[in-house]
Amino acid sequence: MTNRFKTLIKNFIESSWRVKLSAVLMGGAQISYGCIGKGLLFFLTEVAAVAYFVNRGISDIEGFFTLGTTKADAWTGTLGDNSVVMLLMGIFAWIVLGIFVAIYVTNLKDALAVEADVKSGKKPKSFLTELKELLDKKFYITVLVLPVIGVCIFNVLPIIFMILISFTNYGGSIVPPELVDWVGIDNFKKILTLSKFAPTFIRILGWNVLWAILSTTLNYFAGLGLALLLNKDCVKGKAFWRAFPVLAYAIPGFITLLAFKFMFSYGGPINEIIRMNGGTAIGFLDLDAKWSARIIGLIVNCWISVPSIMLLATGHLSNRDMSLYEAARIDGATPLQQFKKLTLPFMLFATTPVLLGQFIGNFNNFGIFYFLRGGLYLDGYFLASDTDLLINWLYNLSIDNNYYCIGAAISLIIFAITSVISLVVYVNSPSFKEEDTFQ
Amino acid sequence: MKKTVALALASTMLIASFVGCGKSEEKSGTTKAGGENSIFSGELEENVTIQVLENDTAISKGYFSQLIDAFNKEYEKYGITAVDANMDQYLDLANDGPYGYGPDVLYQANDVIMQYAQGKHILPLPVEQLDCYSQVPEAAWDAYKVDVDGQTYTCGVPVNVQCPMMYYRKDLLPEDWKENWDKDGNDTPDMVENWNDMYKFSVARHSEDSNKYGYMKSLYDVYFSSGFLFSYGGYIFGDNNTNPENIGFAAGDSKKGAWVLSQLATAMNEDCIDDTITTNAYSKLADGTYFATLSTPDTYTTFYDELVGNYEEEGLSEEDAKAKADEKLVMTALPKLPESGDLSDENPSFIDSKMMGGVNGYAISSYTKSPNACLAFVDFATKYEMIMLRNETLGISPAREDVAKEVGGLSQEMFANLEKGNIVLMPSIKEVGQIWTPGQTFFTDLAKDAFRAETEKKYKDLDSLQTGLEDMSQQIHDAIFTLE
Repeated sequence: MTNRFKTLIKNFIESSWRVKLSAVLMGGAQISYGCIGKGLLFFLTEVAAVAYFVNRGISDIEGFFTLGTTKADAWTGTLGDNSVVMLLMGIFAWIVLGIFVAIYVTNLKDALAVEADVKSGKKPKSFLTELKELLDKKFYITVLVLPVIGVCIFNVLPIIFMILISFTNYGGSIVPPELVDWVGIDNFKKILTLSKFAPTFIRILGWNVLWAILSTTLNYFAGLGLALLLNKDCVKGKAFWRAFPVLAYAIPGFITLLAFKFMFSYGGPINEIIRMNGGTAIGFLDLDAKWSARIIGLIVNCWISVPSIMLLATGHLSNRDMSLYEAARIDGATPLQQFKKLTLPFMLFATTPVLLGQFIGNFNNFGIFYFLRGGLYLDGYFLASDTDLLINWLYNLSIDNNYYCIGAAISLIIFAITSVISLVVYVNSPSFKEEDTFQ
Repeated sequence: MKKTVALALASTMLIASFVGCGKSEEKSGTTKAGGENSIFSGELEENVTIQVLENDTAISKGYFSQLIDAFNKEYEKYGITAVDANMDQYLDLANDGPYGYGPDVLYQANDVIMQYAQGKHILPLPVEQLDCYSQVPEAAWDAYKVDVDGQTYTCGVPVNVQCPMMYYRKDLLPEDWKENWDKDGNDTPDMVENWNDMYKFSVARHSEDSNKYGYMKSLYDVYFSSGFLFSYGGYIFGDNNTNPENIGFAAGDSKKGAWVLSQLATAMNEDCIDDTITTNAYSKLADGTYFATLSTPDTYTTFYDELVGNYEEEGLSEEDAKAKADEKLVMTALPKLPESGDLSDENPSFIDSKMMGGVNGYAISSYTKSPNACLAFVDFATKYEMIMLRNETLGISPAREDVAKEVGGLSQEMFANLEKGNIVLMPSIKEVGQIWTPGQTFFTDLAKDAFRAETEKKYKDLDSLQTGLEDMSQQIHDAIFTLE
């Protein structure tokens, strides 16, 4: 990268005045060498960029650093500054600046290339030829340009915004019209040093990791088991039986969760049956029900997730090489051995990325305990309960309590944890190590 | 020639650059002077349309269309038209208002409206100019007062009072109630006059038939349960609900209120621990499983419809069922509490029950282009005739004294309770949002305790109840201040 940059600078210094003109007026060299259309495009890009930065880009970048200086006052009609909007527009201005710099460098490279062509006696490509190339040799640019812009605006910008929020004091009583300020790493320090925070964080993290492992394993093997079962020749009416899990999958998750909450509540049908049989109602999900609530959570999550795994596994299982199974049977392998030595490695290879996705999804599974057992702050936990996952705690802190900056800091920590786990698992998985095995 | 082209391009670019200069002035300075007097000049903006966000029930029951029709007729000569804002009740004025979205006039509960006051998203109103000013009690106005920059402003106009009410069925009273359950001979059953007799009756009814209960209500609900604490000196926030540093759920003898709740829980079943019975209380009262429960006045029609359905199932015609439900379903004020907090006290002296409540009212968005027309609408909608019509159509308890007197009965009783301070209005500061989850946790724990084995009980005496209330207050404090 550095060498390429050095070469570019060297070539630029040694170039003619035309290329140097392009450094000031983008497209200058191209126009002077007769590439009028392309030169004008570069020039218009520069005009648009300068107009944008003079109009608002520079003040947006300034606003990115100050996050506002005038507080809004609706009673006096003072519009004031909205720090959150200023932060967003500041990030946008940086992205525009980045794109402009990339185009500027492209312009210089192109000017040098055009000059090299002219010097070597070649005629520079016409605008039409270059446009045609965009539909042929350089078609990847044509198809990628819009998605890249889309990704920058709808993906990169919100992620950067969320990351930057964790370095501000946004939240609590500091919400617009109050002005937000940069506070460095204070929020991370708070999470790590606040005596009430750390024990809750450790407890919830421990349960969260256990939950993610257990639920992913349970869902995966239950889904695979169901797929294998429905794949058996002896099962009659397979399509009919497959329809049931698909129905469970088709019902919106939160409705399923609310239905299960009602079923396990004191006034629900399960306790009604227990009472009718002379028993005493059981608080399956109440505040004393730590492990029973956790187990119900696992089972309900299984109910919701197994159908998708089953469908996925059904598809993969149909791609198995059945001659291997025939050979195994001839060699005397038991069904369990066939599963362990043939089915499982094949499935793990094919589905590790999906499994990782499931793991991340379960790690951040907000709905299960929010709907089943939300609205409790228990002893030993700071604004959380013993079934809350980090994502639920994050919600309690950021949405319920409006501490957006702390919420953003915790989500960064969650991101770090999940990405490290995913990376380690993926790099050590057969999907990555033995990529060619099944191809 | 090429140099000329280059020069021309350079000049063009220079000019183009300056074309973009002169960024529009975003901070427009002051367009309105501060304070309500300069905003509300009294000169009506003519030929304007004002968007009004009303209560869903008022819209569905036809009151709102009558209100805007009457207003539009009255103000036709100015070209002022009020229309339904047609927006979700859960609006976000703070974020939408500055960008020109949101209603001009909004009708909401005081705690919702006042969330917008601190950020100045609703206007301070010259309330003393309004027709209703002298008719609304000070306590109701207080719910809409806010201190900003050292000055007190009133940002809303009270319309009606909301607070918990007791619902019971006369036809479920014991046949001998006049002899055995009306000690003072005032023709009102003792069990709906004081909690001691309600507790005694609940125990008796359940022991007669294990599937039947006297009083049943989920303790989980902070809105209904916290009134028991307030009756014994508890409060939400100090300095008249404006100081969140001072959390008062454990203040005074509020532990006695918690004790009353735990005694009541022993006469209920486990359904009182979570909130699932909130939705089936209507049918349980109708089928006679419960004798009494608590709810808000706006749920009267739901109880009524369920009961009518139940009578029809028993074989009555629709007309007879309605007539019977009219007579047998009673909505009344909360019973009195024993001063000692002991529901088994044989000779108790009683104190008034306090309850958490709210005042619904109108406010005007700071982002309206027609503040004077909006004020005219609010004035019109809070006049005697419109509040009376609102009461007749929706059955609300009016905040206006003259309407409350005219209507009489329960409305007058609620008005008197508001004046006496027995209705503790929900605080109008944003920190009130932090009381619910800690409150729910404590009340759930309290209800659960009634069903724990003796060795596992957490709240065995008043001291342990006090500790529980202090923990709950601490959680609220943590939620508000730890991360400030």
